[in-house]
Amino acid sequence: MRRTYQFTGSILLCLAVYVGYESLKLRYYTTLGPGPGFFAFWLSLILGVLAAAMMLQATFGRPEPMPPDTFADRGGYLRVGAVALAILAAALLLERIGFRLTMFAVYFFVLRMLGKQSLLTVLVIALMGSFGVYFVFVRWLSVPLPVGVFGW
Amino acid sequence: METFHLLMGGFAAVMQPTNLMFAFAGCVLGTLVGVLPGIGPAAGTAILIPLTATLDPTGAIIMLAAIYYGAMYGGTITSVLINTPGEAASAVTCIDGYAMAKRGRAGPALAIAAIGSFVGGTVATMGLVMLALPLTKLALSFGPPEYFALLLVGLSLVTGLASHSLVRGLIAAILGLLLAQIGTDPVVGAPRFTYGQTELLDGFGIVPVVMGLFGVAEILLNAEAHARQVFDTRMGSVMLSKEDIRSSTGPIARGTVIGFFLGLIPGLGSMIPTFLSYSIEKKLSKTPERFGQGAIEGVAGPETANNAYANAALIPLFTLGIPSSPTIAVLMGAFMINGLVPGPALFVEHAQFVWAVIASLYVGNVILLILNIPFIPLWVAILKIPYSILTTIILGFCLIGAYSLSNSIFDIVAMLGFGVLGYLFKKLDIPAAPLVLTLVLGPLMERGLRQSLEMSEGDFSIFFTRPISGTLLAVAGIVIAISTLQAFRAVRGADSES
Repeated sequence: MRRTYQFTGSILLCLAVYVGYESLKLRYYTTLGPGPGFFAFWLSLILGVLAAAMMLQATFGRPEPMPPDTFADRGGYLRVGAVALAILAAALLLERIGFRLTMFAVYFFVLRMLGKQSLLTVLVIALMGSFGVYFVFVRWLSVPLPVGVFGW
Repeated sequence: METFHLLMGGFAAVMQPTNLMFAFAGCVLGTLVGVLPGIGPAAGTAILIPLTATLDPTGAIIMLAAIYYGAMYGGTITSVLINTPGEAASAVTCIDGYAMAKRGRAGPALAIAAIGSFVGGTVATMGLVMLALPLTKLALSFGPPEYFALLLVGLSLVTGLASHSLVRGLIAAILGLLLAQIGTDPVVGAPRFTYGQTELLDGFGIVPVVMGLFGVAEILLNAEAHARQVFDTRMGSVMLSKEDIRSSTGPIARGTVIGFFLGLIPGLGSMIPTFLSYSIEKKLSKTPERFGQGAIEGVAGPETANNAYANAALIPLFTLGIPSSPTIAVLMGAFMINGLVPGPALFVEHAQFVWAVIASLYVGNVILLILNIPFIPLWVAILKIPYSILTTIILGFCLIGAYSLSNSIFDIVAMLGFGVLGYLFKKLDIPAAPLVLTLVLGPLMERGLRQSLEMSEGDFSIFFTRPISGTLLAVAGIVIAISTLQAFRAVRGADSES
């Protein structure tokens, strides 16, 4: 895990420098007392120290053994990417084509990616998760869900 | 006497059929959420908030509180049946609960967990009733320095105890405080780190953050590992033998005390009481070698401590407005969605509401006890559903939960972002709980610090010259010093071993 923590520490150090720089654009102190940038500045400083501590620990400390599931195989990353992509697609499509069509597509895609269910099982779950859930939430629970350009 | 009258008023409200129904539905849904491995009570409660959107505030909070403690119990079921804790607090139950299940004693393990949870939860609720008014009166005398110092105590406990590594725990806590900087400045009202995005003016909502860090992150990890469940345990009868009851009485009593007192400390987390209870039971046992082989004390003690903690952890929320765990932070968010601000003023301004919720905790504990045993076959059936289907259904509810809170696409994107962050945190062994707690505590801490310094015209001695804040700061200092010392010892010990 040595390189992983060295890399993470350096990313956090960059973040600390950036936040510190941005916080200086805000007022550090006002006539009333600490300003909007006061807390952020000190937090960025503490984050910088902690990031440096993480890097030093990783470089000079006893190396931590890497858990076996730290890195996945290609298929694992593909599935992670597919789920993340499905969520992003849902965000982009939800208000355009509506809840029912979006969720049907999300369920269909994710189920096909993650499992080995039959097409019929996938279709039934996708229909229940989209049209069925819409009916329950909108009709029974009065929770408004978006309707898209096709009226669905 | 005043407390008794107020509590009776609360019972009158909660015994109305609709509120009873909400408590029942909350218990069932909460247990269901707890049963789903990995999702946990925080994300589960967050996902289910939309279901309460159309209810009146009392009904909504009664249902969400029931979801919360239902989920705390539900986590036990998977720990016993498939050796996978539904939430972190149930991790220790896997040791002896699963061992009992493998010997065909899953029924007694679940039964004693239900009874212990009932006892722990009920006693902790009695404590809440007794402590609520005195603590509220004390909290009303707090000024900004005292609040800041109290929050610092909570923060020091979160970072010191929630992680294997002090540095990583602190990094998570600081990241949460930094994320809390995004939005409108709590004192002067100027936008900060919003980069012109109007959605960021209110900062990140606790619900999408929790759903991302705990819900989506777990879905991503399961997708990566292609998780499959193996259900190969035998239920057996749920009836307890005389020997089971005799062995469990002491652990239940001790678990109640441990869970209750640790629940009063803001920010401690639910894992500490359960692990402490387990280690005490093992130390007190005349036959410690049975632990790990299916000792019923190893289930009774921790499960009681877990529920006593869950109910007692509501005390800092109700009386001080401070959440003790990510799940309580979600509950706090739900309070605010319903126009209620947790804290001492709640008892003054919304006494009827708050006593109805407290009374519902009693009722909910009874419902859970009655519900859990007959519903076990249903939970077993759910655990047999292929994990890919369960994961996809949870993903669907995450999407609905994130969007429907404020009909905002931004919240879905935020949930995804925090999901990826939670996934990376898991890989890097960085705890997510400190981030969630400091995200909630951040604005309160900043307001406390800045208002205190305004009061003293920039003089930091205001924190040390006031007795309560001085004492609390000393406690925070001691906790941080102990944590640092332990971290150094661990590093030196590891070095000398190698």
